[in-house]
Amino acid sequence: MRTYLEFAIKKFQNKMTYRFDFFMEIVNTIITIVVYLCIYKALYGGTKDIDGITYQMVATNFVISMGLSNAFKFNEMFLQDKIHDGTITNEFLKPVNFTFRMLWENIGEGAFKIVFNFIPALIFTIFYTSFCPPKSIINFLVMLVSISLGYLILWLISFIVQTWSFWLFSVWGIITIKNVFVNILSGSLLPIWFMPDLLRKIISFTPFESIYFTPVRIYLGELSGRDILSGMAIQILWIAVLAIVANVFWKKGVKKLVVQGG
Amino acid sequence: MEPIIEVKNIKKYYKVAKREKGLGATIKNLFHRKYEIKKAVNDISFSIKKGEIVGFIGPNGAGKSTTIKMLSGILYPDEGGIKINGYIPYKQRKQYVKHIGVVFGQKSQLNWDLPLIESFELMKYIYKIPEKVYEENLNKFTQLLDMKDFINQPVRQLSLGQRMRGDIVAALLHSPQIVFFDEPTIGLDVVAKEKIRDFIKYMNETEQTTIIFTTHDMQDIEKVCDRLIIIDTGKKIYDGSIVEIKNKYANSKTIEIWLEDGKKEVKTFDVNQTPMNEVMEELFSKYHIKDISICEPEIDGIVRDIYEKRVSLEPVVAGMGE
Amino acid sequence: MSEIRTAIQSLKMSFRTRMQYRVDALVAALAVFVRESTNIIVIYLALMKFQNMNGWNVSEMLFLYSILFLTYAFVVSLFADLRDFPRMIREGRFDRLMVRPRGLLFQLILSNADVIASVGHGTLGILLFVYSAGKVGIEWNLTTILYYICAIIGGILIQGGMFIFFSSLSFHFVETNSLREIFYWNMRKFAGYPISIYSKLIQGLMIYVVPFAFVNYFPAQYLLRKEDMANYNEVYMYIAPLVGVGIYSLAYVFWRISIKRYKSTGN
Repeated sequence: MRTYLEFAIKKFQNKMTYRFDFFMEIVNTIITIVVYLCIYKALYGGTKDIDGITYQMVATNFVISMGLSNAFKFNEMFLQDKIHDGTITNEFLKPVNFTFRMLWENIGEGAFKIVFNFIPALIFTIFYTSFCPPKSIINFLVMLVSISLGYLILWLISFIVQTWSFWLFSVWGIITIKNVFVNILSGSLLPIWFMPDLLRKIISFTPFESIYFTPVRIYLGELSGRDILSGMAIQILWIAVLAIVANVFWKKGVKKLVVQGG
Repeated sequence: MEPIIEVKNIKKYYKVAKREKGLGATIKNLFHRKYEIKKAVNDISFSIKKGEIVGFIGPNGAGKSTTIKMLSGILYPDEGGIKINGYIPYKQRKQYVKHIGVVFGQKSQLNWDLPLIESFELMKYIYKIPEKVYEENLNKFTQLLDMKDFINQPVRQLSLGQRMRGDIVAALLHSPQIVFFDEPTIGLDVVAKEKIRDFIKYMNETEQTTIIFTTHDMQDIEKVCDRLIIIDTGKKIYDGSIVEIKNKYANSKTIEIWLEDGKKEVKTFDVNQTPMNEVMEELFSKYHIKDISICEPEIDGIVRDIYEKRVSLEPVVAGMGE
Repeated sequence: MSEIRTAIQSLKMSFRTRMQYRVDALVAALAVFVRESTNIIVIYLALMKFQNMNGWNVSEMLFLYSILFLTYAFVVSLFADLRDFPRMIREGRFDRLMVRPRGLLFQLILSNADVIASVGHGTLGILLFVYSAGKVGIEWNLTTILYYICAIIGGILIQGGMFIFFSSLSFHFVETNSLREIFYWNMRKFAGYPISIYSKLIQGLMIYVVPFAFVNYFPAQYLLRKEDMANYNEVYMYIAPLVGVGIYSLAYVFWRISIKRYKSTGN
């Protein structure tokens, strides 16, 4: 555990050295959020609520889901690059679990961006428009747990696609397409409330709803009591399912690498 | 004869950001950064006549690349002046570069995914090379460098040596009068190096091409160059012929003797302090010698001594070797 | 003449390079297409719920967006090296161009075309245009067609000019990717929608600072005449194609000044 935490800290420090990037990425996040707030303000056009969803709720959804999705971005070509330049075999010789190292490095990066990107962007946007406060302090704290689970789902989906680089020459295209699905279906571009009924039904059977939408609903109090528990149970279920799938791909991929030498 | 390249007191300073370690310093660096001045080239002068081959050596970071960049018109000198073939390189870039060729050993200009010939074709159009000259040069070079077999293969499939030969041809198709080679033999095997050296020598002898090249390989210098310029920490510390540097600074000789009982003894001494016959007398009286060999100092060793300041050079006079 | 031959050889090489890995190129072009469709899907789904955005219906919105894609398809085939310029400087590839007897911008514009992105954006642009152009009530006659073509060329010049401007900044600062990210890529995000939905500050930026408004909003307004045009001076619609020429010339002057600085500092 200590070793992996070390990876996270290293990544965190690494990020600090790119100072210009650092200020600019905050602006980047703010602008992305502002564009969507403007779009929805125009779409609402003064109407108080659409199907019981107020503009404030939409704004809250965006700040959480879009802000976090910006913070949770990481280098998804990492595994492919390691395979292409052959350094992956060196990694297997090291006494640390490579996949855990990847996860913890990405967590380090994510933590950095939450503190230095998401929170400053959040503070700015609070002045820009009004948001819904959390339903209660408990809801807020539970949301934090739920966000962490959401992150793991997001990470596992990315990892699964990354492992395909054991078989494919380039996964860039597939990762790009995957991200389109994640961005749209997780509701970070179009709130899930406004999706056509059929699509919403379909999404409820996928892990995408569990990434940002579950935390958002917990925060807003749309879910309460038992619903919170079942929402989080679904998150954990998805983590388990995805972890199993990821493990299968990873094992098969490593085996192929060892047998065929890349 | 008028020099074709004239370099007078050029200087080039850079501002470099200071990096401090530690988390506190990294945070501080986000807001404020300290700079220091690095004197990459600090008052260098030399002149080169048409048809000379000059080797440019120096330890890493000595200012070789910066000098080559100034000579090829990429950088302005902060102070001093350069005149090459009647042009001021950094002021008359477009006219000037028609007459030069530049080979960056570490940065290929070939298209990675396409056959060599495609990159050559592009050069034909970029340099406006007349069809006849192009065909002639291409035929001549590919024959000399033995490239017929792989000219139609994608560059990514070529060996490093093959690629380097391709890069050299690409830089010479327009028949430049002056060619700068920046580490053309880096990372190559002996055979490939030999081919490139022969080619460079050939170009110099038959076309009277003036050549400057930088290298870390002393064999390149010994086999190809007439003249050697050594720079270190931005200053020129030697400028003269190779024979001269050997005679002047290579005082130590090494004697290897094989004894009757099969053992080997090695003795190194300075000829200025102990004359050869004294050493020999001592050896003959001491051992039963079966065989003996006296080793000339390698230029490698001399240069290493110079870099490590074990040999102090007399200050060089500008324009020496003329 | 030799300029044209150089151009043809360069384009041929860019194309052949991409075609080396046919399947990969196809997947990549598809990925660009899908990625760029994201906002289109979002607009489509959102307008299923909300009907219009400041008076613009789905077809009009898609028409507005199509101009952005069509112009960009040309921009990436011409200005790809200027888009990736900081990397070119970092890897020292720019020095190579400096030892060739041709104009630097000429070489940059010709040396590399991002065929994949061009196909991705271009296909999407054409599809959206075909879908929307007949539904938005534009009467296509000689004037409108001519205006449309000029507006597209102007849009290419505006974005090309911006790339040249940002590339020139690379000669002054080590890190310019972030500036480019904010002022080009983020402003481009704004540009997909009618600028009247934004605050005055953002509108000002889009018109006077990073003039994306002249790439698609004002040209679309000339053809569509939506109500929100009342907020702006009508002249903007007419001068839209000319703005490109102005921006490009300014960027060129700035490039010439900045290149001097590169020669004095290197990288």
